[in-house]
Amino acid sequence: MYQLFFTPNWFNGLDIFFEGISLIVALLIAAYSLRIYRFTKENRFAYFMVAFLMVAFGLASKMFTSSVLYYHPLREVTAGVLSPIVGPGLEFADLFYRAGFFVEMFLMLAAWLLIFFISQKSRDRLRKYHEVSQMALFIYLIFLISFVANFQYVVFYLTSAVILGLTVLNYYKNYLNTDKNENAFRVMLSFIFILLSNVFFVFVYFYNQFYVLAEIFMLIGFLTLLGTYSKIKRRF
Amino acid sequence: MSNKRRSRLELVYDILLSIQNKGGKIKPTHLMYKSNLSHKLLNSYLDELLGKELVRVEDIENRKKKTMSKVIHLTDKGSGFLAEYRRMREFTDAFGL
Repeated sequence: MYQLFFTPNWFNGLDIFFEGISLIVALLIAAYSLRIYRFTKENRFAYFMVAFLMVAFGLASKMFTSSVLYYHPLREVTAGVLSPIVGPGLEFADLFYRAGFFVEMFLMLAAWLLIFFISQKSRDRLRKYHEVSQMALFIYLIFLISFVANFQYVVFYLTSAVILGLTVLNYYKNYLNTDKNENAFRVMLSFIFILLSNVFFVFVYFYNQFYVLAEIFMLIGFLTLLGTYSKIKRRF
Repeated sequence: MSNKRRSRLELVYDILLSIQNKGGKIKPTHLMYKSNLSHKLLNSYLDELLGKELVRVEDIENRKKKTMSKVIHLTDKGSGFLAEYRRMREFTDAFGL
């Protein structure tokens, strides 16, 4: 059976739980961005909402694919549903897993890239046509990377780590530009945790316990984002 | 005050904030100076704010001069708008949007 990489068995299920929490945080931020977009009608908030929706759907895709891998009853049900398409012997079961991981990688990479663009640009630049066409080129590259990463998963996590590293730099600049705003610092910190998580994912190939560390750092990153979000919501 | 052109939403925020800073009620002339707007522009914004029930206007009689003057009050909805706007601005600053 196809697996992206081998994870510690005792951790199976816990990772899905962690990702579930991260998914809820991503949805909360997307919902608040939508609220601000409706209020201000400014595109940057719509882009930000789309980015966090992609994070949520990317995580949902990973959760679903991992669940099918981990849990036998769910695998049976999925096999039953897919059998008319892939044949009774599920000769093409690999295709299902590859498609699942592909969706995850594509959505996550696109989301990180969009967040990087938003944190990078001045408020009006994303409206311009040439910026959108530039993004189309990046989407093509993400598509390519996601495809290659299905055979060499390290490519996905390395690319994510690079984009997240640049995003952290942007958030550091934002922290300085906002007179060391406490919440801007928390956002930067959360992206540092998510970056560390992706760095650990790269090394799962050498030592699979790094998967646990990576998932924990990812959870801490999203919990820090949740803390920032709730602090903002409770203020004023 | 910054030299940058204020957006419509920022103008509304500045008007409501000026009223709040004066204890929730203000005379139109004071509001004009506090929010740094022309008489015409302020009136057009006030019409909108009245329509959305963010402010209300009270007519007050000056017994000595025997004249009527107006006072603009910030409503609860207006206070809610200010709080929500501050939260949104905090979110925007935090995420560098």
